[in-house]
Amino acid sequence: MSQRTKLFRRKDPYDLPASDEQFLAAVRENCAFHYAHCPPYRRVLDSFSFHPEDLKESSDLTRLPFLPTATFKHHRLFSLPRRRMAAVSTSSGTSGQVSEIGFDFPALWCDWNMLWRIGRTRGFFSPRPTHYIILGYPLRRGNRTAVARTAFGATLLTPALSRTYALQYENGHYVPDMDGVADALIRHAASRFPTRLVGFPSYTYFLLRLLERRGVRLRLPAGSKLMLGGGWKQFYAQQVDKTLLYALTERVLGVQEEYIIEVFSAVEHPILYADCVHHHFHIPIYSRVIIRDVTTLEPLPPGQPGLVEFITPLLTATPILAVMTDDLGILHPGGSCPCGNPSPWLEILGRVGLKEIKTCAAGAAELLSGGGKP
Amino acid sequence: MILANGKLYDTARQDAILSGLETCFNRTLAERSLSPDMVICAIDRLGQRLDQGDFDALLAQIEQADRYLAQIRPLLSRAALQYKLQMELGTDTAYTTSPPGNLPAIGVRRAPLGVLFHIAAGNVDGLPAYSVVEGLLTGNINILKLPQADNGLSIEILRELIREEPALAAYIYVFDTPSADVDAMRRMAALSDGIVVWGGDEAVSAVRRLAPVGAKLIEWGHRLSFAYLSGAQDRARDWPALAKHIIQTRQLLCSSCQVIYLDTDSMEEIHAFCRAFLPILEQAALGSAAGLGAAAEQTLRRYQARIERAISGQTGKSGRTVYDGRGCSLTACDDPELELSDLFGNPLVKALPRSRLLPVLRHQKGRLQTAGLLCPEADRAGLTDLLVRAGVTRVLRAGEMSDSFCGEAHDGAYPLRQYTRMVNIR
Repeated sequence: MSQRTKLFRRKDPYDLPASDEQFLAAVRENCAFHYAHCPPYRRVLDSFSFHPEDLKESSDLTRLPFLPTATFKHHRLFSLPRRRMAAVSTSSGTSGQVSEIGFDFPALWCDWNMLWRIGRTRGFFSPRPTHYIILGYPLRRGNRTAVARTAFGATLLTPALSRTYALQYENGHYVPDMDGVADALIRHAASRFPTRLVGFPSYTYFLLRLLERRGVRLRLPAGSKLMLGGGWKQFYAQQVDKTLLYALTERVLGVQEEYIIEVFSAVEHPILYADCVHHHFHIPIYSRVIIRDVTTLEPLPPGQPGLVEFITPLLTATPILAVMTDDLGILHPGGSCPCGNPSPWLEILGRVGLKEIKTCAAGAAELLSGGGKP
Repeated sequence: MILANGKLYDTARQDAILSGLETCFNRTLAERSLSPDMVICAIDRLGQRLDQGDFDALLAQIEQADRYLAQIRPLLSRAALQYKLQMELGTDTAYTTSPPGNLPAIGVRRAPLGVLFHIAAGNVDGLPAYSVVEGLLTGNINILKLPQADNGLSIEILRELIREEPALAAYIYVFDTPSADVDAMRRMAALSDGIVVWGGDEAVSAVRRLAPVGAKLIEWGHRLSFAYLSGAQDRARDWPALAKHIIQTRQLLCSSCQVIYLDTDSMEEIHAFCRAFLPILEQAALGSAAGLGAAAEQTLRRYQARIERAISGQTGKSGRTVYDGRGCSLTACDDPELELSDLFGNPLVKALPRSRLLPVLRHQKGRLQTAGLLCPEADRAGLTDLLVRAGVTRVLRAGEMSDSFCGEAHDGAYPLRQYTRMVNIR
């Protein structure tokens, strides 16, 4: 059995100290695999004079070279041939640049294990049939973005009675159908069965405000939930509105704050982070978070703000073992959350100002994107 | 957002507004002309309001606002603007020639080009508005296409200017059209007598393609700048100044130092310089007052560049040795070419003996801008002449490469002259 499988089979998803040794073994195994099968990854490690065998104890994780998430937008990095991949996940790129991350078959099994163990802590699963409202678009041929897949996946957590999508595909475009969503919600409020609303916080907020303006006041049946998630971008662009969103949800749908569950994940780091009742994102045993100094990239102690790095040995198809996001965050120490979860929790402060590069020196954009002009 | 005739409109109205512009321009051109005094007064009043703190909220959006303001504010005074006009256009706006012998005299008058279309770049906050102000000072009607990276500052500045002097409303039109909307760009270009383009090679050649033949093109394209170190220098004064310049401008400006040249043949000297200069650059990097986000952005970009090099197998590229510092780096190169660095505090260091200075720099002719010259005073005049002959347009001291000087030319030309035409009248 691989070290990775052993890690993902562990029972308690939030007991980090007990999993440390197993985590390190899985990282070492994963690192060695990519080092052997992905020449560009090997070149990166070589350039730092780092070898997988250098991972001797947990503290060595901070020395493991990491790839910025943008790397996966510029390069197709794979350690397996395509035919051995179960799926390729793409990010919803806004500027034509998308990441492609390959999933191997055992990783899917790990994924389900993770979903099961983390989901149970927040009541994801239920045998009760449920109506689903998805503030996104249906999966269709030619659209395999992680967002569409995740949204669909969320509707498999319970038997689905119905699925209503807020975005419909018409003549090559996605068209919002807010009236359809509003009608469905009104119908479902009278149903014996609960409703789950799945979507980005921003879309959800927009929908609820629209409903409120129309004078809609519903009491969705007990067991109804709001499941918020999506890319990080959407996630904290709305940070300021969170408390407003909670209040609005209760007013418009009759769903209380504790039934509002937020999750986040990313194409380049497909680990599931679900919030606790205090809306804190605790770190599960499948990953480790390192906060790094914004100037020196040295690891920082808990409680200090810096760049957020994620480590997970989940995938063998793509070397996303250690990735550096363009997010600023704080890792709060384990045991500091009143919910009782002993694991440290991550607070995302916002995204680094990586808008369009502002330069007037020649060809800089091309240079930095790794393509283009000499 | 669109600003036309002093009012804000939604971007969706672009088509309708563009359709009405020709009539609108013709009316303005036929009925009146814009006096520079009116523009100067409006800017002067804006400057005073700036001092009173009226725009503090707006300034909060700008990184290093204080330093930036310290440079810009003096240039916004009535005296400085009048001086600029005088320097660039001369004291006489209308005169009669007095040629030798019996040659007939003729009246000369400076007139605006008419309509200027500014395609602005986003690398300096407020630059798009500045370009329009230069157009206004020369009496032109101005169409401004905002850069994608614009943060709303330019439109705000121009609105305030119109608030100070409502007559300017007929001379300012701002569009947030994306560059990909070629059709709209073409329509704006067709309305214009002159097209002012700020930006990279791609922007410049795109504009050349869409400009009508009759329009005058004024190109403020990308430039490269460098430092040239020769002979004995005042290390204690000049090196920290150069380091500070590199860190503060993040190497993003045309005038930012990309390559540090040493007047030598010896690679040994290059390596010795890297070892000696790195701690000084490091000190500047760690001491910079950049906010958390800005610092993180620079660090990420620098790290990304390093990863890109590793992935493409360039780390071992022959002739390049990277000296990694905290928040910065130096790369010793064994070729002499002037090129773009990795930016954000990562200059290249190269050997370029003065005997080869001219032929090497000529490889980048048309792109040369500022040379920061560090050398003994006795050598200064000679080296300056050599740099000028190579095509450099500014020769300055180490720490001031990106400073603005009242009355200075821009990339070898006086912009206000470019925005006007000489008319002869008898």
